[in-house]
Amino acid sequence: MSVERRSTGGIDWLWLLALVCLTAAGLAAIYSATEGTSLSGYFQRQAVYALAALALLLVVLYFDYHLYSDLVVFGYFAGIVLLVLVLFFGKTIHSTKSWLSLGFLGFQPSEFMKVIVIVALARYYASVDRERLGLAHLLTGGGIVLVPMLLVVLQGDLGTAMTYVPLYAALSFLGGLRRKHVLVLALAAVVALPAGWMMLRDYQRGRIQTVLDPSRDPHNLGYQTIQSKIAVGSGMFLGKGFKQGSQGQFGFLPARHTDFIFAVLAEEWGFVGSIAVLGLFTVVSFQMLRAAREAKERLGTMIVAGVLALFLFHVFINVGMAVGLLPIAGIPLPLMSAGGSALLAFYAGMGLCLNIRMRRYVN
Amino acid sequence: MSQIDEVNRQLLQQRLRWLYLPVIVIFLLLAARLWQLQIIQGAGFAEQAERNRVRQVTLVAPRGTILDRNHTPLVENRPSYNILLYREFAKDLARTGSFLVEKLGIDPGDLEGILKRSRSTPLYRPLVVKEDVGMEEISVVEAHRLDHAEIQLGPQPRRLYRYGGLAAHVLGYVGEVSDGELQAAVFPEAAAGDIVGKSGAERFYNKLLTGKDGRKRVLVDSLGRETGLMDRVEAQIGGELKLTLDLNLQLTAEALLRDKVGVIVAMDPRSGEILAMASSPAFDPNRFASRLSPAEWEDLLSHPEHPLQNRAIQNAYPPGSIFKLIVAEAGLASGAVEDFTRVHCSGAASYYDHTFRCWASGGHGLVDLGTAISRSCNIFFYEIGRRIGIEKLADHAGLLGLGQRTGVDLPGEKAGVMPSPEWKRRVRGTKWYAGETISVSIGQGAVTTTPIQLLRAVSALATGGRLVTPHILLSAEGMPGGRPAWPEKQLAVAEENARKIREGMWAGVNEWGTGNKAAVSGLDVCGKTGTVQVMSAERKKELAKDVREYENHSWFVGFANRDNPEIAVVVFVEHGGGGGAVSAPLAREIFESYYFGEQRRTLLTSLVPPDREEER
Repeated sequence: MSVERRSTGGIDWLWLLALVCLTAAGLAAIYSATEGTSLSGYFQRQAVYALAALALLLVVLYFDYHLYSDLVVFGYFAGIVLLVLVLFFGKTIHSTKSWLSLGFLGFQPSEFMKVIVIVALARYYASVDRERLGLAHLLTGGGIVLVPMLLVVLQGDLGTAMTYVPLYAALSFLGGLRRKHVLVLALAAVVALPAGWMMLRDYQRGRIQTVLDPSRDPHNLGYQTIQSKIAVGSGMFLGKGFKQGSQGQFGFLPARHTDFIFAVLAEEWGFVGSIAVLGLFTVVSFQMLRAAREAKERLGTMIVAGVLALFLFHVFINVGMAVGLLPIAGIPLPLMSAGGSALLAFYAGMGLCLNIRMRRYVN
Repeated sequence: MSQIDEVNRQLLQQRLRWLYLPVIVIFLLLAARLWQLQIIQGAGFAEQAERNRVRQVTLVAPRGTILDRNHTPLVENRPSYNILLYREFAKDLARTGSFLVEKLGIDPGDLEGILKRSRSTPLYRPLVVKEDVGMEEISVVEAHRLDHAEIQLGPQPRRLYRYGGLAAHVLGYVGEVSDGELQAAVFPEAAAGDIVGKSGAERFYNKLLTGKDGRKRVLVDSLGRETGLMDRVEAQIGGELKLTLDLNLQLTAEALLRDKVGVIVAMDPRSGEILAMASSPAFDPNRFASRLSPAEWEDLLSHPEHPLQNRAIQNAYPPGSIFKLIVAEAGLASGAVEDFTRVHCSGAASYYDHTFRCWASGGHGLVDLGTAISRSCNIFFYEIGRRIGIEKLADHAGLLGLGQRTGVDLPGEKAGVMPSPEWKRRVRGTKWYAGETISVSIGQGAVTTTPIQLLRAVSALATGGRLVTPHILLSAEGMPGGRPAWPEKQLAVAEENARKIREGMWAGVNEWGTGNKAAVSGLDVCGKTGTVQVMSAERKKELAKDVREYENHSWFVGFANRDNPEIAVVVFVEHGGGGGAVSAPLAREIFESYYFGEQRRTLLTSLVPPDREEER
């Protein structure tokens, strides 16, 4: 199943360029935030991950995407097994047990599982060739999402678990929803919300409360939000310049190379740089929408839409947190935050979408 | 492609178009928020980021040095360190707290109190958690500079009083400005936490002595660790004061008052320069250089002899026979006393159906003014006082500065009381009894004076008519012209009258007078003794107890030399006994020290042990 020239439209270079630019900007920000500090190893590691991610993208691109949907059942169950293994043998970092150690390499199965769930759900919904989904389909689809989601919740990683919700919503919407089913799902969400609040740990509840009033407790929970807003705001129009951001350089920003990488960037490159990055994210989103619309069949459309939902949700939550609009949740900025698993998973997802775009012509 | 497929495809396309909505909404929302934070509120956040990064450290300015008239330093500064807590960098206050308690020995209760009191102080303002720490604590803080960067050493120069309690009342002491002083704007330039003068010269010349604080701005990271120096403005030391005090004369005066409660003030009668001012008991102002514990305060305040009080200016006593000099002046000036005036003293006299006694029960016989002064005859002055009348007497006493502040450059001076019928009406609401005039004529009754008032009045008689303003400041850095201009009053004392009184005073010391224990061979000392009856002899006998509080107060006021006065001295010993027996010899020591000090210096230094007690 090699690349057949007749059936391909070639690689969407604009899209790929936007991806590479975002990752390069992320690397620059990571370098700025960590070089010369105790975190200085992060840049080199991330650079290696970026190269690996690019290679992974090319590998994913090489085979027809139907191969992946054919094999997704195995991938899904392998993913479940890994998530269970994490629960027993995982490493706990920042009160979240999501890391699996493979000797020298540690990785987070939950990041890869998101992409697998997208393919699995897309394949299932695509097989339902009807105007609208039935309740049984919605429930089955829900099951596909809920099992890994609950396993991630058990890891204590609520932020990552939350990311399953938008992709379920997006794909179900595309599959076709009946009004009464929307009501049922909304009702389920309303019932689940207080239960979810009860399940939250104290620090998580505090994070949500402090978004409503960041000055309530500036030293513990609101501190990060306030420092992040100061970093972003003090960048003003043109920014303070590379490695000149005091908030990032002197450690006022928490998790500056991972969750708050956007604040580092906004401080040093100002409104201009922030909008440029947002623009790149927008370019990627629009390319994805286009790919979804022009996909060969439902499966392709669904997969692209699922990756888009995941991507968009990550960008929204992460940047929203950095600018003090949303509570602090440990959700990385796609393609930019330091961290190998998320980067590789997003590049795998993007590889899938580029693949679908490349093979969009019916032959 | 079937028709159903086509319908489904179209539906999917329709739904896909809806997905543009969240993409656009999210990016517009985030862009708008970035606009708000970075463009609209950007300058404000930039300022906050700057404040985050910069820690301002106040460099406390040392206060000016205080010197004696011969340029000997009396008050200087010594370096010291406080332990400061920067709460903004204390990420884990419990950890910081236990470090302060365990490693730096700070009392947990004290710490809690400091934190509680400072709740409304901004977080970036450091709190002083321990003052004036030793080498051990300094090295602990230094060793933990990286893991406890919220705890810093704050250098603060502290006052060092070279001679302990010497001239404590003149020099004063310093302390943190109080809330009350801040509210009343006693020190207009002081801010909370500043050190200000609380008494003495430290307070009176606080503005001159206060330097200009500097500041250092350092760049810090989020844990408060210094990453660099931004700028530094050095502190400027306060102005230097040169006092009129003479260290050796001051040492002599204090040595003489050892174990006594009383006052010695020596002054140049021509200028008002105070050469020595000792008030006993005293205190060690060094104890105030660090925060005084409540127990120490209580100790000082409840001390029966009030060591904080400067008796030379802050306490008024009945002048006793010293007042006879004022009556003599009033008599001469008003014509009540002429050269030929003689009064017969039989030891007692009767006025207004009341018997008034002389201290010499046998009487002095026929006395003129000179004898009356030298022998301190009561009967003569009863009669003269009666002839002058209280109104005129009060006027003349007022001209000599009694009942008024002298204007000495020290805080808290008392005015004393020179009674008159008008005064009595105003203050007591009753009329003046003629018998009171008789009592006042020998300095008893309602009349009270501070030692410095009497010294000033006698100085005016010594120099022939100039009422000077006593002062302790010789010159000061930062004062326009370098030295203050003191007001002087030309007196209506005729030189001839002053000479007659001086002659009586000379006789009192050098002939058969009450003050001859003040005589110094080779000098023409003039003086007048006073003994203030605290309790009548009869009453004392009744109580049959020999208690210090029942003893008489002892006065001596004099000057030398008669024809060329350079030094005037007042000695007052509370419950010391007779003026001639107790105070006159102390005055003699001062005259000797002043005129023949060089020869006696070795002897004197041996009188003052190096580690003086804090209170005597």
